[in-house]
Amino acid sequence: MANYFNTLPIREQLNQLGIAEFMDSAEFADGVEALKGKKIVIVGCGAQGLNQGLNLRDSGLDVSYALRKEAIEQKRDSWKNATDNNFNVGTYEELIPTADLVINLTPDKQHTSVINAVMPLMKQGATLSYSHGFNIVEEGMQIRPDITVIMVAPKCPGSEVRAEYLRGFGVPTLIAVHPENDPQEKGWPEAKAYCVGTGGHRAGVLKSSFVAEVKSDLMGEQTILCGLLQTGSILSFDKMVEKGIDPGYASKLVQYGVEVITEALKHGGVSGMMDRLSNPAKVKAFELSEELKDIMRPLFQKHQDDIMSGHFSKTMMEDWANGDANLLKWRAETGETAFEKTPAGDVKIDEQEYFDNYVLMSAFIRAGVELAFETMVQAGIKPESAYYESLHETPLIANTIARKKLFEMNRVISDTAEYGCYLFDQACKPLLADFMKKIDTDVVGKNYNEGKDGSVDNIKLVQINEKLRNHEVEVVGRKLRKAMTAMKAIKTV
Amino acid sequence: MPKSIHIDRLNLAYAGKSIWKDLSWTIYPNEHYVLGGKSGSGKTSLGKYLAAHHDAVYIANWYQFTNLEGDRNFYYQQRYNRHQGKDTLTVRAELTHYAQKEGLDIRDIQHKLQAFGYEEMLDSQLIELSSGEHKKLQLIKGLWLKPTLLIIDEPYTGLDKQSRKVLNEWLDELATEGVQLILITNDEQVPNSINSYAHIVEGKLVREETQDALIQDAVRQQKNIPEFLKVIPHTDHEYMFQLKDVHIKYGEKEVLKGIDWEVKVGERWLLQGANGSGKSTLLSLINGDHPQSYGLDITLFGKKRGSGESIWDIKEKIGMISPEMHWYFDQQATVWHTLASGFYDSIGWFIDVKFQEKKQIEELMNFFDLTEYKDQLLHSLPLGKQRLALLARSIIKNPPLLVLDEPCQGLDYNQARYFNDVVDELCQYGKTLIYVGHYESQLPKGIDHKIELAHGQVKAIEHNIENVLK
Repeated sequence: MANYFNTLPIREQLNQLGIAEFMDSAEFADGVEALKGKKIVIVGCGAQGLNQGLNLRDSGLDVSYALRKEAIEQKRDSWKNATDNNFNVGTYEELIPTADLVINLTPDKQHTSVINAVMPLMKQGATLSYSHGFNIVEEGMQIRPDITVIMVAPKCPGSEVRAEYLRGFGVPTLIAVHPENDPQEKGWPEAKAYCVGTGGHRAGVLKSSFVAEVKSDLMGEQTILCGLLQTGSILSFDKMVEKGIDPGYASKLVQYGVEVITEALKHGGVSGMMDRLSNPAKVKAFELSEELKDIMRPLFQKHQDDIMSGHFSKTMMEDWANGDANLLKWRAETGETAFEKTPAGDVKIDEQEYFDNYVLMSAFIRAGVELAFETMVQAGIKPESAYYESLHETPLIANTIARKKLFEMNRVISDTAEYGCYLFDQACKPLLADFMKKIDTDVVGKNYNEGKDGSVDNIKLVQINEKLRNHEVEVVGRKLRKAMTAMKAIKTV
Repeated sequence: MPKSIHIDRLNLAYAGKSIWKDLSWTIYPNEHYVLGGKSGSGKTSLGKYLAAHHDAVYIANWYQFTNLEGDRNFYYQQRYNRHQGKDTLTVRAELTHYAQKEGLDIRDIQHKLQAFGYEEMLDSQLIELSSGEHKKLQLIKGLWLKPTLLIIDEPYTGLDKQSRKVLNEWLDELATEGVQLILITNDEQVPNSINSYAHIVEGKLVREETQDALIQDAVRQQKNIPEFLKVIPHTDHEYMFQLKDVHIKYGEKEVLKGIDWEVKVGERWLLQGANGSGKSTLLSLINGDHPQSYGLDITLFGKKRGSGESIWDIKEKIGMISPEMHWYFDQQATVWHTLASGFYDSIGWFIDVKFQEKKQIEELMNFFDLTEYKDQLLHSLPLGKQRLALLARSIIKNPPLLVLDEPCQGLDYNQARYFNDVVDELCQYGKTLIYVGHYESQLPKGIDHKIELAHGQVKAIEHNIENVLK
């Protein structure tokens, strides 16, 4: 199988990369009609599989689950998830041949084997849906020409997909149709109907392509979402301990601080996050982040270049073939860091304290979000796609760190994201060595405002605010966030 | 040696309105209080103030629990959705953890758990508990501490008769052991040890000789029911719903065991049963919230369940309120948003409210005396007002079927009577009613059928009831 993207002429590469259109709600006026009465079979019943299936069924659609024979015989969790909720469950052989729409919601890594098992069983003219395009774009999986291939990707964890649906809302969703596989031109109507069935149409839908989704998704997860959060967390913790801050406090400030600080992104974007700081702290965070952007820009560019050329997926797939040797080694190393091994102290930290005592994290986040966004857009990805894969997902990933630190983050994200995260982290730490030498506890561990009178140069502040608010990620973000109204309150831990 | 508690000249204002004006209160040893009076008079705030400034335990009128990550992002149907990940602690783990934290011994409350019928719950996850069971857990944790001063805000909310009796006996027991009680309630069945009564009148604390002397909210002035609610909903089926031999299982645990229940259009049913007997689960089958309803023999509004209808098609025909829905309601919804969301059956979120709908919202806010609160956050109002807003939400679209699960929780006697009169009036205009309530004194008069559950089974069904209030 050859990398699909690399087989395309440059004009077609740019064309597919550039598909990103925020869809008008009128486009969903037909509701679930295109799938009404059709047989939907979901492969995989983990968090996404189960929760999407519950929503689709509650929208009046006919949903069953196809599981591997062993999963059924051994009554694994996927089998229990499906049967406990009164779903019809069967083997691939039993259910796939009856399906009008097969939804593949298994982990990325299993896609090739799942598709190879499922495709021969699918009936003529059926539809196959993915929630991530790696298999098609990077692995170059070729789907039988009579089959329609679509993508529906809710941009939230499965539990949220369900919770928001039942509240009468939904989560932002990206949909696509693979141009090589749309023989009957039913791809878009079905993708839209599927999206309505999960509630996604109520929270903003981005029309994308398999290519745009993969190239932006990989970039986001490797750099700002996972890579930089990991690097920033570890460097912050080590710095505090080096400077004599209580390790329990340091551990808690980092573990929960990442979440509390990035929550602010959900409501007001980067400038909303920076507005949580006092004026002097904002100026400081701005200056630090400018410096960080200059230092890290070449690394962000390298990641984007390797993703575009296919070098990243090639080396990662070599590691798959090698029994995940690198991945497992790096995972073990992350488990051994001092941050990971120091439990959060039993201290109460107020919401505002996370901002005041951790100016450095706001600087990391601003630098990372803007850099990832800028680099993607420079590479031909549209701002809307770049927004979802940078700013939008940052608080969602930060939430996993708050649960059980980096180990949990790396467990929850895909192996693909985890692999890229380690690559970034290993390159980024040495790059920031000199920068970190200058960092003291005023920006990480202690209240930056202490002993300062709060006054700043007004003109400077105006300029900084202008620069923050007018960045393209903010402009496009304001537009997209308007569509996702029902935001939850900022949490305190 | 027990000491008296003195409160001296307290002042409190909320939203520009003065609540307490130089409020003073002396609580002598051996006095056990009922603090009653009008809603919005500052009772809850006074309870919290006392607890914060004296060595006391305060049990709030609202319970909370978190998942294992300390998160509270639950939705009210989550109880019914099954997945293998364990999100919340079990009751046993929660109690063990609490005992450790507070230096208590779980063996000391073994017989209380038994009395509350709580022993079989020990291995359930917190998310699986009904609202009444959550309330009991909250009470157990507070009473277990045996504090010198125990303040309970609305102790009886959601408790069934038996649990209420157990609670009162336990409170009497504590009183003899030297625990001083302050119960914030307008309920009349209080423990025998209560010997003092007080309410807040014009910002000052006033003591009374008897509980009867405590001022209740005035009987509200009758207003005409808005015209749009007088429209008889169109139905083209004889039965509102039919359930046949319905079983619900969670793993090995069976919570509904072969329920048969048919309700015809226009009937007014009372659904009763002890806490945890399966009432809410049964209702969740009717309003589309239970995933296991697919594949069961259920007919809703003349259509077989699972024949292509969406849960939104079902909810459109039902006006629903329940303690759980209240508990999980959007924290950021204003009173106006709350009512508006009733048109879309969403939790505080809606698309685009049309002119006619806006008019209905206005009329209904006026009818329930909610207009002055319309831009306030729902959660900032006294509990009774929150309830009224949610009740208004449930009828805003003039649905053919009303499912009112303990709608009067948190309302005092007069508010409850007023509300039930409204329900009776609505029923005159063709609505079908399913009503859950523990106390005969707090029911709509028009109820003409009754179903009683016990341990997930139908214990009794009565038809053609003449007077349910008897």
